[in-house]
Amino acid sequence: MSRITAEPTPVPAAPAAGVVPPGDDGRSAPGARAAMRRLHRTEHRWAAAFVAAPVLGFLVFTLYPLGYALYASLTRWNGLTAPQFIGLDNYTALLGDEYFLKTLWNTAFYMIGIPIGLVLALLLAIALNRKIPGQTAFRTIYYVPVISSLAAIAIVWQFAYNGDFGLVNQVLAWFGIDGPDWLQNTATVKPAIIIMAVWKGLGYSMLLYLAAIQSVPRSLYEAASLDGANGYHRFRWITLPMVRPVTFFLVVTNVIAGSQIFTEINIMTPTGGPEFSSASIVYYIVRKAFKYQQMGYATAMAVVLGLIVFVVTLIQFRLNRRNSFSID
Amino acid sequence: MTTKTLRATALALAGALALTACGTGGGGDDSSGGGDALTFMFRGGPDEKAAYQAAIDKFTEDTGVEVRMTVTDADQYATKLQAAVSGNKVPDVFYIEQANLQSYVGSGVLLDITDQVEEAGVDLDDLWEYGVDSYRFDGTLQGTPEGRLYGLPKDVGPFAFGYNKTMLEAAGIPLPDPDVPLTFDEFRDIAKQLTVDTDGDGALDQWGTGLNVQWNLQSMVWSNGGDWTNEDRTEVTVDTPEFAEALQYFADLTNVDGVTPSASEAATLDTYQRWMAGEIGFFPVGPWDVSVYNDLDFEYDLIPWPAGSTGESATWIGSLGIGVSATSADPDAAVQLATYLSADPDAQQTLVDANIQIPNLIDVAQEWASAPDAQPANRQEFLDIVQDYGRAMPASFTYGAEWYDELWVNIQPVLDGKQTAADYLAEAQPKMQALLDESNANAEMAGGA
Repeated sequence: MSRITAEPTPVPAAPAAGVVPPGDDGRSAPGARAAMRRLHRTEHRWAAAFVAAPVLGFLVFTLYPLGYALYASLTRWNGLTAPQFIGLDNYTALLGDEYFLKTLWNTAFYMIGIPIGLVLALLLAIALNRKIPGQTAFRTIYYVPVISSLAAIAIVWQFAYNGDFGLVNQVLAWFGIDGPDWLQNTATVKPAIIIMAVWKGLGYSMLLYLAAIQSVPRSLYEAASLDGANGYHRFRWITLPMVRPVTFFLVVTNVIAGSQIFTEINIMTPTGGPEFSSASIVYYIVRKAFKYQQMGYATAMAVVLGLIVFVVTLIQFRLNRRNSFSID
Repeated sequence: MTTKTLRATALALAGALALTACGTGGGGDDSSGGGDALTFMFRGGPDEKAAYQAAIDKFTEDTGVEVRMTVTDADQYATKLQAAVSGNKVPDVFYIEQANLQSYVGSGVLLDITDQVEEAGVDLDDLWEYGVDSYRFDGTLQGTPEGRLYGLPKDVGPFAFGYNKTMLEAAGIPLPDPDVPLTFDEFRDIAKQLTVDTDGDGALDQWGTGLNVQWNLQSMVWSNGGDWTNEDRTEVTVDTPEFAEALQYFADLTNVDGVTPSASEAATLDTYQRWMAGEIGFFPVGPWDVSVYNDLDFEYDLIPWPAGSTGESATWIGSLGIGVSATSADPDAAVQLATYLSADPDAQQTLVDANIQIPNLIDVAQEWASAPDAQPANRQEFLDIVQDYGRAMPASFTYGAEWYDELWVNIQPVLDGKQTAADYLAEAQPKMQALLDESNANAEMAGGA
């Protein structure tokens, strides 16, 4: 209930408008100055109120849960009773948990899809930047997976990967290849999910690259052509460096999103794949937290994952700064 | 200026604190959802929902107590219930799984209903002993007759074995005896005869059986003299020769004998669908399957499970309980609803007529089993399982099932014939033991708290 009263508190709690000291402004146009002050003050209060909203949101929905998660990771907690403080036991247990290491490795493996996806997206963007017939249609087609529901896509791909009648193996059969049972096989389940994820993310990266390519100044290409640069040279020394900020942005966001891959795995391989070979770290966290009620332990894993993502992102920013440049 | 900003920030902070404090502290009082209505949370498909609606309408008519029902999908129920518990919005009456009973008792969510049920004049001897004892807990062991009562059985689910009568008759195979279990060898022989290519296109389209390791291995292991744990559930015993022999037999049915659809055939259309399409000779039948199976294009009947070296059939009995919230605003009415759903003859009749369960009341059940138009004819098998040879699932009475699930995680190579059962079980035992130790430690801690 206090939710309603809490937010506007700053406004009524500030001193009432009438308490402006009267003797202070006795010289010129006292009324006008007082009015100005009042106005300033009111505006300030309103400003504070507006700023308070996001600050409150941050405190309540980000900082507080974050702090609580840090605390919960030091407890034994089943989500029903009060957490029980056990120090660093969860973290030491993590080191000996083979599934934790395995799912961490699986998650890292999925990252292979990121460079593949970026290269394909860049190539597509270059192709679609030319004047080819049906350009808009192609751009739309590649973007459709991005706006489709991930759950629906995962189910469709699950059918496509079926060993017996799946679309993927039917196409392979045209070329005389006897495809595996993709999702039931420890060797193929991760690549299968990577292919799907690349396909799903392609349109988004392509769109950003397309925008970046189109904003490269024409004059650079013209000058290079005059100097005798061929198509490859222009790509290598102009396009690629000019889209670098986009590449950096995509790498960072893809790594952060990729480390939390969960939905497609949970739908396509509900048991974590044969011998847990497709289970990602978030899949394992969810399993521990909600299937086995080990909230404290699961939170400890989430904290470690958060730290890893933080460090990796930090490294990326360092590398980016070292390699950055500016024209003119 | 700055002081004002500071003040505003301080106020904002104070507000935030007040807000979070409210979030954790408040809301405890209106846990029953307000009003006089009881809340009842359960799970099930459309058939079950309709049956329960009918039973509860009758309850409201008789007692004047309104009931608000919340129904979820089976696989979402546990998560939703847990969310309700964390949010201090525990429904007055709700389904409780055997395996979660101890943690819900330990955290004070479930009401001890022993005395109230007794006062209400319910004779628990009229109900299946297994069903009632499943929800007894004496602080250390669950499932013992001495424990306090924390729930009543919603139902008991004897997992029986069935066969496609039409298929066996067409193949000229004598129908199996409903009283004497087949041996493992006999079962394999019949299954081999049934596994044929009926339309001559070079691909098999009829199989002897098609079993799922997670639900069917229990029967084979138990009837072969093995088990998951010792009696007081402290030691994992999956690395015994009896256990290994049963698992090997199970895997060989696919890999050596070839009497089941292959892994990829089963992935294309699972064996449950194939059984219903009449492609499979022998398949498990639970009471919850009967309403669907009775409409199939072939006749089927129940028999005891094939028996291993002990010569005795074995299988598991599932059960779901109905518990009452310890924070219910009207515990008497809540207990009344729970006993009504579990033990009232009229309510039982409504639920049984919907073909979603077998009767909880023993005498109603016996009448039901001997009905002349019973379908399947050998309904008695369900009752035999509950009374004689059914057991609880290995993890039903332990604190959480993680130790038990561990067995399935890496079992695929055995099912694919790439690893022997004995090798695998020797690898799995220590891991399962560690998890069971942990679960027992957790149980102790929760019990002490």
